[in-house]
Amino acid sequence: MATATIAQPKGRRSTRARGVRIFKWSALSPLILLFLFLMPVFLLQIYFSLHSWTVYLSTWFDAEFVGLELFQEVLTEGRFWRAMGRSLLFAGLSTLGCFISGFILALLMYKPFRGQAFFYILFILPMLTVPVVIAYTADMLLYEKGPINGFLSYFLPGDLSKFTWLANPDIAIFTIILLEVWNWTPFVFIIMLAGLSSLPSEPVEAARILGANRLQIFREIQLPLLRPVIFLALILRFLEAMAEFPKTWGLIQGGPGTATETIPIYLYFTTWVSFDISKGAAMSYVVMVIMIFIVLTAIYVLRREKRAIDALHETSRTEA
Amino acid sequence: MNRVMKARLFKIFRYAMLLIWSVIVAFPIFWIVSTSFKPDWEWHAWPPVYWSQEASWANYRAVWGREESPRTSTEAETKTARYESHSANKPWQALWNSLYIAITATALSVAFGAILAYGVSRYRILSEIRMFQLLVLRMIPPIVVAAPLTLYYSAIHLMDTALGLIIVYFITTLPYSVWMTKSFVDEVPVEIEQAAEILGATKWQAIREVIFPLIRSGIVATFLFILILTWSEYLLSLMLSKVDVVTLPVQLAKYEGSDEGRVYGHQAALAVGITLPLMVIGIFIRKHLVRGFTFGMVKR
Amino acid sequence: MSEKQIKRRSLLKAGLATAVAGPAVLGGAGKAYAGPEEDAVIKAGKKLGGAKLNGMMWGLYWRNYPDLNREFNKATGISMDKVSDVPNLQIPQRAMAEAITRSGKFDIFHVESMMIPSLAAAGMLEPLDSYMKSAGFDLKMVGNFETFMQYQGKTYAMPTDGNVCPQFIRKDLFDNPDERKAFADKHGKPLKWPVTWEDELEVMKFFHRPDKELYGFGGLRDKANSSFWYWMYLYSAGGFPFDDDANPTLNTPAAEYAFDTWLARKQVSHPEASAWGSPQMIPRIRNGKIFSCQYWDGIIALIESPTAKTKTRGMWHYGLVPGSKFSGKLIHRAFSAPVMAMVVNKHSPRKKQAVAWAMYMSTYKNSAEVVGHPKFTFHDPWHPKHMTDPQVTKVYTKPGIKSVEDNLLVTCPPPYVTGYQEFKEVVDRNLSEAYAGRKKGAKKVMGDIQNEWAKIIRKVGKRKLKREIPFYKAMMPKVDVPS
Repeated sequence: MATATIAQPKGRRSTRARGVRIFKWSALSPLILLFLFLMPVFLLQIYFSLHSWTVYLSTWFDAEFVGLELFQEVLTEGRFWRAMGRSLLFAGLSTLGCFISGFILALLMYKPFRGQAFFYILFILPMLTVPVVIAYTADMLLYEKGPINGFLSYFLPGDLSKFTWLANPDIAIFTIILLEVWNWTPFVFIIMLAGLSSLPSEPVEAARILGANRLQIFREIQLPLLRPVIFLALILRFLEAMAEFPKTWGLIQGGPGTATETIPIYLYFTTWVSFDISKGAAMSYVVMVIMIFIVLTAIYVLRREKRAIDALHETSRTEA
Repeated sequence: MNRVMKARLFKIFRYAMLLIWSVIVAFPIFWIVSTSFKPDWEWHAWPPVYWSQEASWANYRAVWGREESPRTSTEAETKTARYESHSANKPWQALWNSLYIAITATALSVAFGAILAYGVSRYRILSEIRMFQLLVLRMIPPIVVAAPLTLYYSAIHLMDTALGLIIVYFITTLPYSVWMTKSFVDEVPVEIEQAAEILGATKWQAIREVIFPLIRSGIVATFLFILILTWSEYLLSLMLSKVDVVTLPVQLAKYEGSDEGRVYGHQAALAVGITLPLMVIGIFIRKHLVRGFTFGMVKR
Repeated sequence: MSEKQIKRRSLLKAGLATAVAGPAVLGGAGKAYAGPEEDAVIKAGKKLGGAKLNGMMWGLYWRNYPDLNREFNKATGISMDKVSDVPNLQIPQRAMAEAITRSGKFDIFHVESMMIPSLAAAGMLEPLDSYMKSAGFDLKMVGNFETFMQYQGKTYAMPTDGNVCPQFIRKDLFDNPDERKAFADKHGKPLKWPVTWEDELEVMKFFHRPDKELYGFGGLRDKANSSFWYWMYLYSAGGFPFDDDANPTLNTPAAEYAFDTWLARKQVSHPEASAWGSPQMIPRIRNGKIFSCQYWDGIIALIESPTAKTKTRGMWHYGLVPGSKFSGKLIHRAFSAPVMAMVVNKHSPRKKQAVAWAMYMSTYKNSAEVVGHPKFTFHDPWHPKHMTDPQVTKVYTKPGIKSVEDNLLVTCPPPYVTGYQEFKEVVDRNLSEAYAGRKKGAKKVMGDIQNEWAKIIRKVGKRKLKREIPFYKAMMPKVDVPS
């Protein structure tokens, strides 16, 4: 049980408690020290977001104080909100895609069958592929008269040799989403597989004896028990997808036009192509606030789910 | 429809679906491996060349072998020439950097994560809300801190050092290590540990002899997962390295941008080298992998 | 592999005398082969004491240098020890990151010369004039080209690469009597070398045959490179991006004409051109899928070099790029960008040695070895003597080298002012959006650029720009049509 402390013989309790305290602080102190060590990063970030600095005019510590002007600039900028929209679209759709494919695969595979090990190894490979490699592989595959179009032409009707994956601004973002789905479906697959195979089998058996069909069993028993894991998979994937950089950057640098310019790409452009460190810092804070809002919501959901599953576990334990 | 037929239909359906997905997964991987053996005229042929007619190791030699000297034009001369520049062995150096940095950071993160996880599981040294707050560390996109981190690192001379990269990788992967290992420690009943202590084992012996063997495969799974994240990290490595600690994903970017035509083959040969180590490790420890990923969200 | 076939002897014959000095003989011999220019630099370098340098170099360029580097090391103890061989798109960004942190880690940056004003303004660059003077080194470049290495009258860089863009036209198609007749029948006038952009478009439209995998135009239209072509159209229309008070002038008729010219090429380009950079475009050019283009002169060597394996060797005309009569008179302008050059970090403790190293690589003889390399053909000629050098001529062919020289005489840079990268980003992005169809009309696109530029000008400092603009203007060629 997660929160059970070890019951101690009476006389040794105080020394035990001291031992625990020493252990606690010696385990936590490196963590605290590291936070302190990285603190200046965030202080610098605050400094830059409130000062307008241009590398050509002065050293960074003489930058001019401008208050919240930069935040205002970021918040009223169409390009920023469009990038945010694209990021949310990217993260949302790729999470959904990963989830659907990962969950279906897990459902098909959680019971032993011949060839399970083979498919399992094969299906985790995309996760083991470095994202930069995926970007360059996509570069090799996705063009007019390219291998993917050639391959698809064997199976699908019509002439696919002319399909443009990257040059068409309406399609490019979906191409990137497909890459993200390819890359991270294994993540959801593994989580769901672990979840499904660790579900208790008694309720399923009981329901089957009572005459429930597979769909009912899935909907009424397995799905509710899996809820926390499903939320976990969705949330982790969504947040990681919000930060996705190497594939989008390596493939088309946010182009054509700004069709695939997500928040990480726009931030990179602002800071490292336009060298607008100050605006980049202000934007970083805006992004951080938005992300933390999303994360807090996610934490709230996760905690609720975890409590529910802990409680469920508690009752089944006492019943047993 | 009777039960047997239904089961058979399901079987067929399952294999069909799995085969379709196998093709989706395998095709890009197959393509990159096959491209790494192709000569340049097969790189963008139409119709596409699936099996190279003239497969050779030339791309691997060009990327992983000696740097070609501009003045030596015969193969014999290339072999005897000595090179003093570091870039001659760049991929190997980058491979070494990647291995060294990723494995050190991962090992530290998992080891420290396991200690914290044990503390949290048994003594609640972090409350539940703190544990969730720990996740925030992972959730800040790295690009958000890249610029001040660069300035800060140059000021304290951590720029372009392995230590600098190890620190950021350690910090950003710690939430996952703690959460994952905690779910394994949770699974080990406290009673087992107590029984060992009653039999006269010290605390440390109990952990080593009882707990650790039970959570070993979980630790292995955590290790692989964190290794995936650190091995393939691109952005921070790009920003925080210059010449001394260039890692493989950054090295691969050398083939980005203008060139005298697409260097598909070289890129593929380097990409295979980047991906292979992880895949080999992953395949070796696949049995452990399936354990690691519920983050304590499902109780057994 | 065909490069195995060039034996030492053939290289010798080609006049590449230093090429025979294999590593084994190099010891003291390197110096013996060197000419007086090289000797002077070596003499100056010897006095400085040895040093191990760090450089940020474009990987594909660096591969030409290991032998020269070794040679200079033997002679002076100065060598490039560690190289960060990054792709060219990343170099300006990474060099500026170094400037922002005032780091002395790198001694030499191999950057495009347009970055010189920004890097110098950020306090990153060491002026080279006094070093050149004391070593007796004289930097000579074709035409007005030396100004590409200067900022406010001081020299800051050693060139490695000319990178001008001549006009490429497929000879086999252009000279084909049947095609000529068909063109004359259709247009009622004979097929001639295009003099203006409008002529060029007409010719390209005639030869644009997507169903046969032949595309009229092969210039770049992606996000990273679009603007280079735009400047060429703008200058040839008599336009200039700034007025004397450092205000942007991109809402002028000339700027809008340049935009329309730029966008009109979409009709005769490959449908995927907006996602293509050189890696995708060059193979198409080499493999005969492009009818004409303005492209970097290195491609001439790539196609024509004796060791090159190309389907289109001998199938190209190289010549002067078209011009425009928009301003009332015919003006030809060719763009040279990125002119790759080596700059020296002012914060480096080894800067003296770094300057000596850079000078050694840019002497006539050594640069000719680099420029005229038969296989690693990505450095292009810039020295006046390159234009007659037998090895360079062999790799570029006579008509090729003639076109390089002609275009160099009317060449001009992208905005050569502080903040180039910022200005470029705005232009590239807006052009790319227009090309993708997300923004419509020259007025809207150029107006947006104008507004965004005004912001950048405020950020960079108007007074600073005002001082720089006369120098930028002086870089414009003196002739409109090379004789």
